[in-house]
Amino acid sequence: MEATALVPLGMGLIVVGAGLGIGRFAAAAAESIARQPEAADKITGAVNLPLFLLEGVAILAEVFTFLMLIL
Amino acid sequence: MDQVGSNIIHHVSNSDIAHPIIHLPSIFGVNFSVTKHVLMLWIVAVLLSVVIIVPVRTYLTGSRSVPRGWMNAIEAIVQFIRDSVVRPNVGPKWVMTWTPLILTFFFFILFANGIGMIPIFDILGAFNRFVLDVPAADSHNVINGMLHGGVTATGNFNVTGALAMITFFSIITAGTKAHGFINHWKNLAPHGLAWPVYIILIPIEIIGLLVKPFALTMRLAANMTGGHIALLALLSLMAIFGEMFHSAIAGIGVAFISVPMAVAISGLEIIVILVQAYVFTLLTSVFMGMAINVHH
Repeated sequence: MEATALVPLGMGLIVVGAGLGIGRFAAAAAESIARQPEAADKITGAVNLPLFLLEGVAILAEVFTFLMLIL
Repeated sequence: MDQVGSNIIHHVSNSDIAHPIIHLPSIFGVNFSVTKHVLMLWIVAVLLSVVIIVPVRTYLTGSRSVPRGWMNAIEAIVQFIRDSVVRPNVGPKWVMTWTPLILTFFFFILFANGIGMIPIFDILGAFNRFVLDVPAADSHNVINGMLHGGVTATGNFNVTGALAMITFFSIITAGTKAHGFINHWKNLAPHGLAWPVYIILIPIEIIGLLVKPFALTMRLAANMTGGHIALLALLSLMAIFGEMFHSAIAGIGVAFISVPMAVAISGLEIIVILVQAYVFTLLTSVFMGMAINVHH
């Protein structure tokens, strides 16, 4: 099997990992807002930044897989 | 079917430097010719000055103290950025120093992202082809020359790289203004640890310094490019299916699924446009805040 044949598989793994991470963020945020609705603004603020950092890692991995595919 | 991939890449990448829209001479070996993304940057700059700078200037020099119409919207955005993006991160002392930079980033990225979703040149091209009857092969026609390349300037890694370089130097400037040049670099690593820790810590901090703008570059450009690729891939399904089954009916049938999905992705893209402009400004102010409010 050619090496590039595995690249879509890696892309799928990235999506699984990023999805798990974002899902856990969303679940935790929803739970804590349900428990303490008056702190919703603070919780959203605290969740936002790590969420974007996580998204950045996923995007970076996708860019690198894409580069592997075309180079 | 072989053309689909290259067609998608053609629609999200810059136009060829060998056939620029406006020829300019090389200065110091750098080719200054205007390609599609440079043209889009100019359009964004002109649009920003007309839509943002002129109303704000007229408001500031005018006698009315209550904003009216479009100025209300600008003021709401400015206040949101200042009070919930810059102030919590940079701190009350430096908020008025850094809000202008952050606002410039926000409006520029927002407009550059937004213009990418408006098919100006495709409509001009269709008008050119079907109303003015200019053939596609006519390479001397002005509008035909503009059709090459994508319109999202922020989907180009060079553009976002330049924006991230501004962030990089503004982080250093923020730290230098708050603590002095030497102290800013000392603040990168925590004080008072055992010396073997620094052997690991200092390289990590230096890598972190460079990774911040790199991640900003990749995040913005890849998000903008990725959304457009998804849109074009869905629309290309029509061509792929039509060719696979050797009938136009199959292509038209797929259109009933792929066009609504493309519309949905376009709606998602509008959210992504807003979120990415917000993320870039938020992360810039967070990084500057990390340089200013050192707490270790």
